[in-house]
Amino acid sequence: MKKEVDARGFACPKPVIMTKKALDEIETGVITTIVDNEVAMKNVSKLAKSSNCEYDTEKVSEDEFRIYITKGDAKEIEDNDDNNKLKDMTIVFGSDKLGKGSDELGKILMKGYIYTLTEAEPYPSKLLFLNSGVKLTTEGSEVIDDLKKLENSGVEILSCGTCLDFYNIKDKLKVGEVTNMYTIVENMKNAENTIVL
Amino acid sequence: MNKEIYYVIAFDSTHHAIKAEKKLKERKVDIKTIPTPREITASCGLSIRFSGNFLDNVKDVLSSDTFNIKGLYRFLKTKDKKIVEKVKL
Repeated sequence: MKKEVDARGFACPKPVIMTKKALDEIETGVITTIVDNEVAMKNVSKLAKSSNCEYDTEKVSEDEFRIYITKGDAKEIEDNDDNNKLKDMTIVFGSDKLGKGSDELGKILMKGYIYTLTEAEPYPSKLLFLNSGVKLTTEGSEVIDDLKKLENSGVEILSCGTCLDFYNIKDKLKVGEVTNMYTIVENMKNAENTIVL
Repeated sequence: MNKEIYYVIAFDSTHHAIKAEKKLKERKVDIKTIPTPREITASCGLSIRFSGNFLDNVKDVLSSDTFNIKGLYRFLKTKDKKIVEKVKL
């Protein structure tokens, strides 16, 4: 849980009361309180200390001070984070078929592969579609629903623009965004783990 | 609560699964070919998945030809568990 309390413009003890209320509302998580003066920042910090919470302060400008308060076990917070649904991993689909051999079987295996991806979290963070792989993200593909499910969970779906153009299906994209080779290379380099199918 | 109920028919032969998929799609029955879930068998077969309202359509199409069917299974999936039950075809 993350929460922001904007207490700028409020006189003491209002910022403290607002932060206390926010802290009481959550089990674990991080509260960011924003105030416009140093005294208020100190008072909110005192509250964090007396509530046995870890905190950090930051002076953003003359009239903006931030207090970051962590309630509960930090590790637990990380586990509760939505990021847990995704794994830093890029999968590159270089074809609309999986493996070499029968085309008919290859298409079935690819359908099965993408369906199975939706069945188990964490999901890979990015899916890149190249060459005939773009047939999977465009009209007529049988895996659009599965890919949309992944996209709704935060998975980035990128189709190669050159490839869409080559197959003349640029206007038929049904899921995700169009990308270029620069982004593809960058994504493959930056991901902790890249799998090329 | 996120609850999902669906049916899965597992085939003993990949070719039969492909044949069934074709026939069902011809009849516009809304099905999906999926890898046979581990809960049914650990081997790498193919199955078709569909929602309960297509159960009669699927049975109808499958009885029109011979298929090596391993079985029909009902899946109940909630956020943290999956219950699989073999049902009579």
